[in-house]
Amino acid sequence: MQKYIRNIYRGVWTVLVGMRVTIRQFFEPEVTHQYPYEHDYEKKRNVREIPKGYRGQLYNRIEDCIGCKKCEMICPVDCIMITGTKLPKGEQLWDSMNVVHFKDGREVIGIIEGSEKVKPGESFTVTNITSRQGPQVVADRFEASGATSRTQTFSSDEVSRIVTRNKVVFYLGQFDIDMSLCMYCGLCTEVCPTECLTMKDSLEGVEYSTFDRTELIFRFDKQEMYGKDEAEDAAAAG
Amino acid sequence: MSIGISRRERDTMETAQPVDGTASPDTESKIIELKPFADEMVVNMGPQHPSTHGVLRLELKLEGEVVREAIPHIGYLHRCFEKHSENLSYPQIIPFTDRMDYVAAMNQNWGFCLAVEKLLEADEKRKFAVPARAEYLRVLICELNRIASHLLSFGTYGMDLGAFTPFLYAFRDRERLLLLFEKVCGARLTYNYIRIGGVSEIIPIEPGSVAEQHFLDEIESFLDYFEPLIDEYNELLTKNSIFSERTTGVAIMSAEMALSYGATGPNLRGSGVDWDLRRDEPYSIYDRFDFDVPVARDVPELGAVVGDCWSRYKIRMDEMKESVRIVRQILAEGLPAGPVMADLKAVRPPKGEIYFRSEAPRGELGFYIISDGTPKPVRVKGRSPCFSALSALQELSRGLMVADIIAIIGSIDIVMGEVDR
Repeated sequence: MQKYIRNIYRGVWTVLVGMRVTIRQFFEPEVTHQYPYEHDYEKKRNVREIPKGYRGQLYNRIEDCIGCKKCEMICPVDCIMITGTKLPKGEQLWDSMNVVHFKDGREVIGIIEGSEKVKPGESFTVTNITSRQGPQVVADRFEASGATSRTQTFSSDEVSRIVTRNKVVFYLGQFDIDMSLCMYCGLCTEVCPTECLTMKDSLEGVEYSTFDRTELIFRFDKQEMYGKDEAEDAAAAG
Repeated sequence: MSIGISRRERDTMETAQPVDGTASPDTESKIIELKPFADEMVVNMGPQHPSTHGVLRLELKLEGEVVREAIPHIGYLHRCFEKHSENLSYPQIIPFTDRMDYVAAMNQNWGFCLAVEKLLEADEKRKFAVPARAEYLRVLICELNRIASHLLSFGTYGMDLGAFTPFLYAFRDRERLLLLFEKVCGARLTYNYIRIGGVSEIIPIEPGSVAEQHFLDEIESFLDYFEPLIDEYNELLTKNSIFSERTTGVAIMSAEMALSYGATGPNLRGSGVDWDLRRDEPYSIYDRFDFDVPVARDVPELGAVVGDCWSRYKIRMDEMKESVRIVRQILAEGLPAGPVMADLKAVRPPKGEIYFRSEAPRGELGFYIISDGTPKPVRVKGRSPCFSALSALQELSRGLMVADIIAIIGSIDIVMGEVDR
């Protein structure tokens, strides 16, 4: 009988000790949030941002891709599919050139005369200016239209950044990434020599679920980049 | 089966020959049903059961509420890790080791990388050494991952036994650690952080930079926040009468039994065997740190004896404190400067084989690798601690109640991803 009462006493007492821990939580800020309606990184009291370098959805800047297929080879689950056609010897889609990004959003592709490093306050000359995203073939058409001269001088104050674009000898007919297969290991972004393949560390790189699995195959080839006729020619030549 | 027929009568009834004579015993197989117990009932627990920590199916043979036999059926989470590895190069296998024990993936990465590094050391021509900074980062991250893993174990064990509050508290604290890992390697669960020859450089932390200081400060603030909470959790759950009544004295695993089943880690130490690879066979830089290895002992005021569910659970709570101690020593020492990756051109181990074991949160994680000198291994075998621990379940559960099965599964702390691989 004594043991029975002691047992009850012990049961109640240890629960009360636990309750003390629980009740303390009433006076602390809450840590949960209603997810689809409230994002925790929007809230002031519980700030959490998607950190830099988060491994989200894969994205490829196809303009800078040189078609080396290193990412396809390192991928453990084969979720990247690349079809690259090598052009005949001596031909190339475009030379290595510079992309000058201006502060007002414009960008000019060409070859900077002299040093690539532009000193502040000085003007610099860009030769062989092509159209906005055009390779050499498009550049010829650009010149034929007689719009502007292919050599222009800019002030370096307007420039935000200058990127070097590598020589491209592959015509990329297909660059598909199946994100339903991807295991988000990030190995492909590490081997990329031009750093054009990245993982989005932003909200749209995290929340992109769909109802249809085929929508998760992202195609990054841009046919308009090559110009339609030239693309067909290049494919036929290869 | 009607009541009143003796066992002998029933057995003769069921094994009797067919009387019509059309089917001869040679051409048609006989159906013999053996039912050794009169009131035996077979119950399938799982595979989709919240307390089985994944997809474990238990075939329980019950007599009333007493379990005569609990047969674990595994393989629901089998993903062919070992076969996959034969077709992948060594750096490509590391993301697959993440998927083995997904709650302590850093330690799995590390175990595999240690084995491959040991294999690479056999090559006389190409000498390399893992940089000191990488070693410190590895110990730091893996000990934090051990805390995260034990927190999950503690939280889910409470929930299995009917206490929902510890689960929420454990996940609240684990979330802080996961956010920390997210900043270090870009992922919350499948890290792929520790690489062969160092650690990942995908988010560089420059030595002596502001980012490094922020990183260390954040760890320190977590430790300051977390260390008093362990005692609070002991008040909340460990010493709780309802919890201790259900776990003390239940499913006692003796030291001999633990050793014969190959149970390792907290399960082995819960049986009173003083064995920890970090101290007894120090790998990496564990010999530089001062920490204790908690071993179970009898607690008479609660009724706990060495080897029962409560002891195994308590070892994990004590280990979290020791992990905090190790991390604090690293923070006091500071991370050494230098690179985080050894100068390895390509991972191409020489011909040979290696077995290397390391102390993961759930026990002794071993990798057996056979190499033929090509970039891909010929054979990779993962020795998972959970598999060995689960094999003891059948003997542990004999003669106990159904509710005790839940207590055993939670106390041996299995992750089905590692059992099935």
